[in-house]
Amino acid sequence: MQLENLGLYYWAIAPEIIVSVVGVIIMMVDAFSSRGARKLNAVIALAGLIAALVSVVMLDGLGSGSYFSGMVVIDPIRIFFSVTILLAAIVAALLASQFLKDEGLPPGEFFSLLMFATAGMLLLAGAGDLVTVFLGLEIASITSYVMAGYRRYDLRSNESSLKYFLLGSFSTAFLLYGMALTYGAAGSTNIQKITAAIASGQVNYPALLLIGAALMIVGFGFKIASAPFHLWTPDVYEGAPTIVTGFMGTGPKVAVFAAFIRVFVIGFGPQDSEIGIQLHTTWVTVLAVIAALTMTIGNVIAISQKNIKRMLAYSSIAHAGYALVGFLTGDFAPVAFYMLAYSIMSLGAFAVIQLLARAGDQRTEIADYAGIGFEAPALSFSLAIFLLSLAGIPPTAGFMSKFYVFKTAWDMTPELRWLVLVAVINSIISVYYYLYPIVVMFFRPLVPGFIKPRIAGMTMIALILTLLGTFYLGIMPNRLMNAMSRPPAVVTQITVK
Amino acid sequence: MVPLSWYLALSAVLFTIGVVGVVIQRNIIVLFMCIELMLNAVNLTLVSFSRYLGDVTGQLFVFIVMAVAAAEAAVGLAIIISLFRNRETLNVDEADLLKL
Repeated sequence: MQLENLGLYYWAIAPEIIVSVVGVIIMMVDAFSSRGARKLNAVIALAGLIAALVSVVMLDGLGSGSYFSGMVVIDPIRIFFSVTILLAAIVAALLASQFLKDEGLPPGEFFSLLMFATAGMLLLAGAGDLVTVFLGLEIASITSYVMAGYRRYDLRSNESSLKYFLLGSFSTAFLLYGMALTYGAAGSTNIQKITAAIASGQVNYPALLLIGAALMIVGFGFKIASAPFHLWTPDVYEGAPTIVTGFMGTGPKVAVFAAFIRVFVIGFGPQDSEIGIQLHTTWVTVLAVIAALTMTIGNVIAISQKNIKRMLAYSSIAHAGYALVGFLTGDFAPVAFYMLAYSIMSLGAFAVIQLLARAGDQRTEIADYAGIGFEAPALSFSLAIFLLSLAGIPPTAGFMSKFYVFKTAWDMTPELRWLVLVAVINSIISVYYYLYPIVVMFFRPLVPGFIKPRIAGMTMIALILTLLGTFYLGIMPNRLMNAMSRPPAVVTQITVK
Repeated sequence: MVPLSWYLALSAVLFTIGVVGVVIQRNIIVLFMCIELMLNAVNLTLVSFSRYLGDVTGQLFVFIVMAVAAAEAAVGLAIIISLFRNRETLNVDEADLLKL
């Protein structure tokens, strides 16, 4: 019997299958091994993630297409965002080993949750249907809620988890209502069919489509932490264990951006019909305003933060704003490049913060960093490099990704040049608060009670990887940019098999 | 026959009740129930569209939403229990260690 005849192409979801199966294997290994199986779990998790990475690269060789009645698609968007998600998961898995040991937390659950969260994000990046978008988003979110509360005897972790859960499910309900109304208006949940319905003007109630799109912007906006839906971010980022914060701030955000692009940039792209034009101009205007607000609010509030995790939470809000500028160009490549660069430097910064904070995240105030510059030079210099990269100083990844996004937006969308100017002014403001911890680290007297942290082997590998990535994307971005600059038109011309 | 707009209006009203509840209620369990109400309002919309369009996707979507809501309830209650063990309160305003 041919599985293909039933429309089942299991290889099209190979990365998701590998990651989920490895998650189950880790649970089994953990159940049947002694308490000290932390390293074994980490190795299995890493092997699974690398296997998934290889399978994503192999999917790329098969060309674009859509499978499972259009539920899952293979296209450049999926490939690039999946690679970013898997890299973030690999760095998180490398860092988790030392974190779990230092805190004495159970390793099996953590690694399997990490795997299931990654599977959800990969599904989200490859979703070709609103149903799969919802499913992937929820798999990723529900596991993230648990991971945020992983330090379950710590009140801050409990609160972080609770706030993330309540506001996350609240926003999911908005997203879902938006999907339901879009389904009613366009008559299908398949994104390509929705696009076709809009292009031919066959929309049942145009008003429903507009309301549906607005509700989906609210839902996606919550998940990527854009203003005015960003209020949960600082609390959740501060309370969650630092390693989880690093992963939550990158993986889910990358995946949601992929789905956001597929639904809005591709699905609700410019069409010839009256409703298509109305929908496109409306959401572009709304998102331009949201992007400007997000950048400004994130950067201005970050200046007054005393806690480095809160500061980076506001910084991540600001970065979502910059990525939205790329989003509005109507091309996925600037956003994909930006999210990859952001993931690398953000995870690197959180890795250093995790090490300096010690067990229980006791030292996360910027004042705790006073004078440590020459006491722990490797960590301090790494943190300084990541912060300079986040600020967008050349020759780092942060500079190149901002340059790419702003340049594309300036060239491709002349009507949005004001937004590029806002973004550039914001990047200049942001330099102030990124430099402040560096000044504190190197030019203040040493804070009493500082103990130089121990760096385990896997943590060291993660730090080296993120540092190399920061410089690689900053100095030699050409190869990646050329690979990404395949015309986005390829994406829209897929036929449903 | 009851027209489609009645179902849509009812689900919009239910959704709004859920939203208002989340905003004004202070008990975590009630907040959680309000979120469930929002999800069920969406389910009503999906089912009525499914019937109106003569298309089965909406009904299948509802099954997936219900399964996800169940998973979310399990995780949510676990989070609420772990917070209650440490703090012995169900009032969200007292979960104020992390300031906005």
